[in-house]
Amino acid sequence: MRKKYLILFGTVACTAAMLFAGCGGKENEGENGQPTPTTAAEQNGNKTNTGEKGYLFKYNGVTVGIDMEAAPIIEALGEADSYYEAPSCAFEGMDKMYTYGSFEVDTYEQNGKDYISSVVFKDDMIATPEGVSLFMKKEDVTKAYGDTYTEEHGMLIYEKDGMKLKFLIEDDEVKLIEYATTALDVQ
Amino acid sequence: MIAEYYDEKKDHDVIFIGDCEVYENFTPALLWEEYGINSYIRGSAQQLIWQSYYLLEDTLRYETPDVVVFNILSMKYNEPQKEAYNRMSIDGMRWSMSKVKNIQASMLSSENFLDYVFPILRYHSRITELTADDFKYLFYRDKVSFNGYYMRVDVKPALNVPEGRPLADYRFGETAYEYLDKITALCKEKGVELILIKAPSLYPYWYDEWEEQMEEYAKANGLRYINFLELTEECGLDFMTDTYDAGLHLNLSGAQKVTHWFGRYLAEECGLVSRRGEEELERAWEEKLASYYAEIKRQKEQE
Repeated sequence: MRKKYLILFGTVACTAAMLFAGCGGKENEGENGQPTPTTAAEQNGNKTNTGEKGYLFKYNGVTVGIDMEAAPIIEALGEADSYYEAPSCAFEGMDKMYTYGSFEVDTYEQNGKDYISSVVFKDDMIATPEGVSLFMKKEDVTKAYGDTYTEEHGMLIYEKDGMKLKFLIEDDEVKLIEYATTALDVQ
Repeated sequence: MIAEYYDEKKDHDVIFIGDCEVYENFTPALLWEEYGINSYIRGSAQQLIWQSYYLLEDTLRYETPDVVVFNILSMKYNEPQKEAYNRMSIDGMRWSMSKVKNIQASMLSSENFLDYVFPILRYHSRITELTADDFKYLFYRDKVSFNGYYMRVDVKPALNVPEGRPLADYRFGETAYEYLDKITALCKEKGVELILIKAPSLYPYWYDEWEEQMEEYAKANGLRYINFLELTEECGLDFMTDTYDAGLHLNLSGAQKVTHWFGRYLAEECGLVSRRGEEELERAWEEKLASYYAEIKRQKEQE
């Protein structure tokens, strides 16, 4: 019995010592004590920006930039053709998907605000400001964006200011165009 | 949720392991009521496949069920994703080599092993904000699940569910396969039947190319594989009424339909025998069902 008390005392003493020593742990904690969703941009060293950075998508005079605050952009784009929201299993906010005919805009939530996580082209009725549409050739992509890209399984990835512009090439045709955040990437 | 398992009397016929697609889509209470099958779900949010493996290893230290059911959505992840999800799968485990190996397999490069040993280190900056509730929950937490099932009775129809985008590479990763092999081998070693399932969640999108890989794997390893996405009609699922979050997870009504189908499968195809009439088990379930139905009533009144 005496041994049990000694172990208990030792554990409490050690814990208290670590607490008051400042512990050297990390600072990102949410209200419920879980690590916060700021995992995303901030842990990556890419502070969420509200300005225009990286490759931009433009539609009807509206500029859509990755990691920009979503609310004013969504408002400017007008009513979406369809909308879907997906709560995270771990209840860390909602991922939202707005479809506007030829493209889809997705958002992620961070500290109560939504930010643009990706723009995906749905058909070839639209093009990037640099002139690339779906179903064009790989050569059209490299002509518009240059040869400084990484390639993974046919996906050409151009990185700029902490975001990625991706072109999936299959049979020498562009099958996917996606502007994407790196804020949600695994560290 | 993971910790609640340790309070159980461990003589389950069926153990489910996997992510939210198991703990929100199957209800052990109904498996007991309709088929006399005693089951438990060791599920957690975005449970990664190596976490499922170590949870299974941990579970099999205590008991040897007839059947283990594993939801294969986590095959899509080949590396750890988020600390918050790791915590949900790992913190509730009792200390054992399985937990140690689980931490080692799950840690992101930004995490420290010691933070798992002393979670208080991870949250020390809140020390001045701690309330009586924090201390209460440190030592005691109300149960949130019913044999691992997380109940929701509300309805949000599945409208505008997005289709999958083209992927550059549809092959599941090597690590994912490595742990699926380990789950298969462990079940074989223990004489437990492993059933692979894909729960009927509409989102995240389940690609045909993924389906082919799982069908091939099941065939090559002599395993049963059930894709509930192909059985929605047979189960009687209606995604206008049977989901609470537009198709990601089923609500109680949906979970009951899927569980009803699966219970019949377990009884007729896998030969699980009803244990109704076992006095101690009947008593335990009587108590569980009372709180299960009280929760249904409470949630319905809140709607």
